[in-house]
Amino acid sequence: MKKILVLSLLAVFGVYLAEVLFKIDFGHQFFLNGVKDFYLTASPDKLKVANVVTSIVVNFRGFDTLGEVTVLFLATTAMSSILYKGRHKLGERAVLFSSSRIVMTGSKLLFPAIILLGVYVFVHGHLTPGGGFQGGVIIATGFLLMLLSYQDYQVSHVVLSVVESLAGITFASIGLIGLLNGGTFLHNFLHTGVLNNLLSGGVIPIIYIAVGFKVGAELTGLIYTALNEKD
Amino acid sequence: MNSILEITGLILLLIGGTFLFLGGLGIFRMPDTYNRLQAGTKATTLGGMSVILGVGFLEPGWMIKALVLVIFIAFSNPISSHALARANYKRGKYPYLKGGEEYDKYREVVTNQKTKEEAQ
Repeated sequence: MKKILVLSLLAVFGVYLAEVLFKIDFGHQFFLNGVKDFYLTASPDKLKVANVVTSIVVNFRGFDTLGEVTVLFLATTAMSSILYKGRHKLGERAVLFSSSRIVMTGSKLLFPAIILLGVYVFVHGHLTPGGGFQGGVIIATGFLLMLLSYQDYQVSHVVLSVVESLAGITFASIGLIGLLNGGTFLHNFLHTGVLNNLLSGGVIPIIYIAVGFKVGAELTGLIYTALNEKD
Repeated sequence: MNSILEITGLILLLIGGTFLFLGGLGIFRMPDTYNRLQAGTKATTLGGMSVILGVGFLEPGWMIKALVLVIFIAFSNPISSHALARANYKRGKYPYLKGGEEYDKYREVVTNQKTKEEAQ
């Protein structure tokens, strides 16, 4: 009986969804005009940013991104505080056996390359796909590799929180300077430069670099807490 | 000159695609973990390298990045397959013969070395 009820509800939902989807023709622009055109023209023309997603995320809705970064920070803090049951001592991590020498040497060689890739991704966030969040996650995977292959690898929580706080302060203070200069929070007060140059887009690269540092520090701290947690 | 570059790139793409396909097939077809690792890492190392080099030949501006990626794959893929095989071995999963009996040359070598050292 319950199954029949669930199935009929799903069928009703599916019929309505199909009706909505079949109304849109293939290749048909559903949103004919409005805010889309503004973003697509203003991003290369006014802000000189090639990656429209970045210009939306960091400039047009930059305040939301600040909230997003804060939500990420709160989520990692909450997860650490829920998971926290005391920490293992140095070298007492819950692994079955230590890594082989090949893995140790290899991860030592690969670690700088991974960090470089992450930095590249968030420095070029306004030119190519990717950005602060993605670059930060790549940096955190580099630290994850080191933490997995070296049992006694230590990440300083003090340094992590200092980096994270500095990045957050940079983001917020750029927004406040924009508020003082142009009247709106995160107003683009620097010169926007030439399209497709590395130094272009005004405050957008600076904000994305700050976001990259913040996300990288947060996720590294989260991974470190999860790996060093006592069973 | 341009067409030679393009043809080389397309041939490399073809080789890479073939090897990636064979690697995927091998993961399905092979009987145990070590054989699957062989298919899943060796074939994808060559396949990925050829595809990336082929892209580099097709777009000469990306060649340097493609070479960096090839070097990265040359480091990371064998190391990760080594780590996977070692973890599997340490968990007590030894290679099998077709009949189902265990066949472990590595353990024989290790025990032989130990007995030799003890004899000396």
